[in-house]
Amino acid sequence: MKQNRGPFFVGYLPAPEALRGFLLAVCVLFVAGLAGFGLAIGVAQDDPGDGAFRFDYGRQTVTGVVELTPYPLLRVTEGNEHIPAGHTLILAGTGKTNVESRAIPLEGQLAQVSGVMLQRGALDMLQLRGGRNGISAAEGAVTPMETVSLGRWKLAGEICDGKCLAGAMRPGRGLAHKACANLCLLGKVPPVFVSSQPVEGSEFLLITGPDGTHLPEKAYHYVAQFVSLEGEVERRGDLLVLRLDPETLEVLQ
Amino acid sequence: MNQAEAILLGLRIWGSIGAVIAAMFLTIGMDRIDDDARDAYIFRPLLIPSILVIWPLVLWRWYLYESGHEHWARRYDPPRKAHFYVGWVLPVGICLIILTGLSQRQTWPAETAPVQLSEPTEISQ
Repeated sequence: MKQNRGPFFVGYLPAPEALRGFLLAVCVLFVAGLAGFGLAIGVAQDDPGDGAFRFDYGRQTVTGVVELTPYPLLRVTEGNEHIPAGHTLILAGTGKTNVESRAIPLEGQLAQVSGVMLQRGALDMLQLRGGRNGISAAEGAVTPMETVSLGRWKLAGEICDGKCLAGAMRPGRGLAHKACANLCLLGKVPPVFVSSQPVEGSEFLLITGPDGTHLPEKAYHYVAQFVSLEGEVERRGDLLVLRLDPETLEVLQ
Repeated sequence: MNQAEAILLGLRIWGSIGAVIAAMFLTIGMDRIDDDARDAYIFRPLLIPSILVIWPLVLWRWYLYESGHEHWARRYDPPRKAHFYVGWVLPVGICLIILTGLSQRQTWPAETAPVQLSEPTEISQ
């Protein structure tokens, strides 16, 4: 049998002299390559934004008028340092849940809400505490709240679930987050449309289905992609609400 | 049918075929090709999940044993011969998949301005 006299690597023995340089080069290149590859992938990712839970604000308790779009909103009448009167808050529950069952009985009434705030730029959301600690009827006169129609618009941007976008997840938007976003939307967490450019000064619009319905299931397939769509826009306080026409949804190239 | 439904349907079909093959192999085939497995049943359900996934390989190995084409030494040849190529195809393929994914990403439509299609219709309270 022909004998092979070349160097032979055995893991538990000292490396053969002839292979040491090669092994050292492989080790260095392997570690450097992994680090470089990881850095390249990291750099290629989109900026997750500055959205976050504002635990530093502490528990927020404010009073206002409850509205249903059908996603629940609070038009704040008595605010505080972080949530001024006149502001419109989007309301959500813990995890991937909504607060509609608690908000529906209070529609059009004065209510006190309490919870933790999520904030991303001008987008604010309040994650309510459980039960009546989160939302309960308040005493006082109800101030009539104006809803201003802004007409029909054609917009480009991305449909997101409002809670993750506002800071519950990082990233809270984009394809990597699509499954999470759709689970939130199935839980009727308020969805938000991020417009490519501000609409009447606002980059974020609460998005609903047509005629006061929830976001239609058809729209779930377009979540996290850059799309164009049409719909009626209305202003509720400092929040814009987009009533989507689902037939106009198109994925942008 | 959208992409998610197509993927789910494909997985269901693959798993259903795997379930039939698992039932046949674990009740009939195993006794025919493995003497050591005869009269031993408790461990067989543990194999069901893996057969659901790799049932084509199970069928192929079953055929080799049944037909007498199985030679134990040859079984180790193909993996050895393929090591060099697989060793390159795997990392290059991963890089290509990532690069393809990155190159196919949509671009944020920053230049697309909102367009008002119609004037406001009403003011309500």
